[in-house]
Amino acid sequence: MRRTRLTLAATVAALSILAAACGGDAAEEPAGTGTTGGAAATDAGAETGTETAGTETAGTETAGTETAGTGGDYRITLIPGVTGDEFYVSMECGAREAAEELGVELDVQGADTFDPTAQTPVLEAVLADPPDAILIAPTDTQALQAPIQAAVDAGVVVVLVDTTLDDPSIAASAIASDNVEGGRMAAEALAELIGEEGPVLVINVNPGISTTDQRQQGFEGGIEAYENITYLGTEFSNNEPAQAASIVDATLAAEPELAGIFATNLFSAEGAATGIRNAGEAGADISVVGFDAGPAQVDQLEEGLVQALIVQKPLEIGRQGVEQAVAALNGEPVEAEISTDFVTATQENLDDEEIAPFLYRDAC
Amino acid sequence: MSATAPKPAPAVEAPAASAGASERRRRAVRLATDSTALIFVALLVLLAIFSALKPGAFATVNNLRNISIAAAPLLVLGVGMTFVIITAGIDLSVGSVLVFSGVIAVKVMTALGNSGWGVVVVGTVAAMLTGLAWGLVNGALIAKARIPALIVTLGTLGAGLGGAQLITGGVNLRGVPRELVTVVGVGRLFGVVPWLVAVALVVTVVGAVALRMTRFGRYTFAIGSNAEAARRVGINVDRHLIKVYALSGMLAGLAGMISLARFTNTTIAGHSTDNLQAIAAVVIGGTSLFGGVGTILGTVVGVFIPAVLQNGFVILRVQPFWQEVAVGVVLIAAVYVDQLKRRARDRL
Amino acid sequence: MTTPLLQAHGIVKNYGHVQALRGADFAVQAGEVVALIGDNGAGKSTLVKVLAGVTHPDGGEIRFSGRVVSLPSPTAARAMGIETVYQDLALAPDLDPAANLFLGRELVRPGLLGRLGFLDKSAMAERTRTAFAEMGAGVQSDTAPVGSLSGGQRQSIAVGRAAAWASKVVFMDEPTAALGVVQAGKVLELIRRVRDSGVAVVLISHNMPQVFEIADRIEVLRLGRRVARYRPAEVSMEDVVGAMTGAVVQEEVS
Repeated sequence: MRRTRLTLAATVAALSILAAACGGDAAEEPAGTGTTGGAAATDAGAETGTETAGTETAGTETAGTETAGTGGDYRITLIPGVTGDEFYVSMECGAREAAEELGVELDVQGADTFDPTAQTPVLEAVLADPPDAILIAPTDTQALQAPIQAAVDAGVVVVLVDTTLDDPSIAASAIASDNVEGGRMAAEALAELIGEEGPVLVINVNPGISTTDQRQQGFEGGIEAYENITYLGTEFSNNEPAQAASIVDATLAAEPELAGIFATNLFSAEGAATGIRNAGEAGADISVVGFDAGPAQVDQLEEGLVQALIVQKPLEIGRQGVEQAVAALNGEPVEAEISTDFVTATQENLDDEEIAPFLYRDAC
Repeated sequence: MSATAPKPAPAVEAPAASAGASERRRRAVRLATDSTALIFVALLVLLAIFSALKPGAFATVNNLRNISIAAAPLLVLGVGMTFVIITAGIDLSVGSVLVFSGVIAVKVMTALGNSGWGVVVVGTVAAMLTGLAWGLVNGALIAKARIPALIVTLGTLGAGLGGAQLITGGVNLRGVPRELVTVVGVGRLFGVVPWLVAVALVVTVVGAVALRMTRFGRYTFAIGSNAEAARRVGINVDRHLIKVYALSGMLAGLAGMISLARFTNTTIAGHSTDNLQAIAAVVIGGTSLFGGVGTILGTVVGVFIPAVLQNGFVILRVQPFWQEVAVGVVLIAAVYVDQLKRRARDRL
Repeated sequence: MTTPLLQAHGIVKNYGHVQALRGADFAVQAGEVVALIGDNGAGKSTLVKVLAGVTHPDGGEIRFSGRVVSLPSPTAARAMGIETVYQDLALAPDLDPAANLFLGRELVRPGLLGRLGFLDKSAMAERTRTAFAEMGAGVQSDTAPVGSLSGGQRQSIAVGRAAAWASKVVFMDEPTAALGVVQAGKVLELIRRVRDSGVAVVLISHNMPQVFEIADRIEVLRLGRRVARYRPAEVSMEDVVGAMTGAVVQEEVS
């Protein structure tokens, strides 16, 4: 009896909080791009004096000399595929640099596993207090389609970065590396390293991730050209370095003549190199081509555990993402698709000017 | 001749009124320190704080709806876990059973053409039966073979997930009937309550009624409180434990369907911490890990506190890692309060 | 002599190599208190377990109202009106007194709800109040979890439970072991009332003064057999202790 009364009282209290909140709901609809743009324009005049960036802000009133124009009070949220991954951290760094130059506010919200069950609630919470634009790396081409559509319907500008959706046309822009090309480059690099003969293995992440699937695809296409190379197939690491290491151990046991490994992303490459190190003698002759250049991977490259890394340009992706978002918010023309390219890093060229700036960062 | 009721007695004078007053006072104290009441108040406080900090954003119907949708599968798991933990047991396998059941459901529905409500119903039944089967395995090993629940469910956690990966080749199965996604997944009852939330609510209410008002619920409490005493009075403890774990498994199967409806694929990698989240929810809600005490309402609150924390923190643009810390603190506080109450209770 | 209500003859029980009972006998009449005493290892608890249906004897026979019966489970014993109060009380500490009283024998609501297992909590609460009032058990709180009550109260509830359900025989294993004087007095009072209502009470106790205070008869077990039967009024404590330890031998009177 007493518990029922308590429950009733608590329910009434909760409902009254809700009612009070809903009363304020009607007035607080997320602003469409039009109103935000208008508000931003009037504010921009007052804001210019306080901008820390350089000449771009002065150009606001005059016909924009800069390609991307300036942001007024725009808020942009970056939702990476997963937190704690240097690829996405570098993307964040590039985005922050561009945001500072353009005078827009950037914040990052992400989940700690690369999975739609974790990313979707984060996206929905971000949309509860919607920013003007979202940069997002969808963790699943299908599962994120509806939630991102909801964002677009709410008037938020969406830019896809890195990964994409089954139907990317709903977004203002999609920016990614040409991952098929990257896979092909990896095939060439690996073939050269192993003298164009021997068995090779691919360690991928999880099917359903657009980027890594394309890398695998590109690799398979590229490696076909080499008659003396046997393609053993693809194993999935689930984005866990430990699992990648186990895969290497197991493959070596089954195929002692293993000549080369292509690991399609950062954690897979890290794990593959660890597996090689564990194998000791047996692993000494195996060449590894990895994807991505996080600090641990650069170390492994220097130690000689990995022979080459196909390096994306996440800083560039982040920068472009912010620039396209701001352009869309300003009503300016937007590039629907941008492909960024790669560089190949080896032990020898790590310090070269063309390579060093592209290595990933673990903090901005 | 069997005794079906205690012997009737002539009416005896009731004790003096002062005994009644002290009884009322004792009840009031117990109410005020009741774990469930306290944690409910904590949830309301959280809601109030977040609403005050971000009025237009947090306390909106849309946002609260989203929180509820995200919490729905966990709530379904939590109801089953409440029964299990009240028996002083534990079920670590729920996340894996959820995934495995979803995989079986997709296979079945795909084989039947993957379209139409009939297929959805068959798929749901398949998922729940699969979960039930896993639960029976758990229950039998725990009750009959007398292997500790922690070990058994750890084993089925691995076996379930491994089984799912074997069947699917590690690849998420995609493709569920359109009806499942468009109506159950995103649709709403009366245009207001999402179907997913409605399902979870029904499960919660049925669970609460069963726990508090039926013999099944009372046996659950009795076994958790003193299994040996229950045995001595003739309760078939083994059979009841098997039923409880079977229930937990069946609800995990249902949660698997809910997840399918929302994400349209089997999300194999996304449920590895579901078990701990469910346990945390149950414990935060005031159910004791040592058994014998617990409420479904508490579990509801326990599910929503981490969900509200996560949502609120994102809205406030707080670093995500603080959310984990906050949930951890709440969990420890909840267990500590339970320990204090236990110490007060046990005079031995 | 009237037929004993419950009677055991030549009970044998072995646990592996240990012979707990080697042809033990026992008898109790309706409406009397019998103290079953013996040193540690004499087999008292085992004998009680056999008579309460918890354990199966390896040999011997049990008679109830003169008829040979078998007690395959505690439920079967209870169906015959035999209840037991164990030394550890067998109460569920988180449940309230009414729930404990009706544990395993819950009242369900009439009709469809009853078939689904819905409990009739108000009926159980009502009957518990009545039963305890009749027993004079004096339980302070109807709704508190039993674990939060004092040791004496818990004992009262355990004894009250057995007394409420037992229509024939109640076994009590050390019912006052952990109690203070006043509380023990109340339990003894309760035992008297149970006896006076016509139920047979079998008491296992090491507490000689208490045994002499309340028992109508004493049966002594030693090394798995009955070695003596006394009436407290006709014997001294030293003789009883002597029978327990084997110092005194009494001719077995059947």
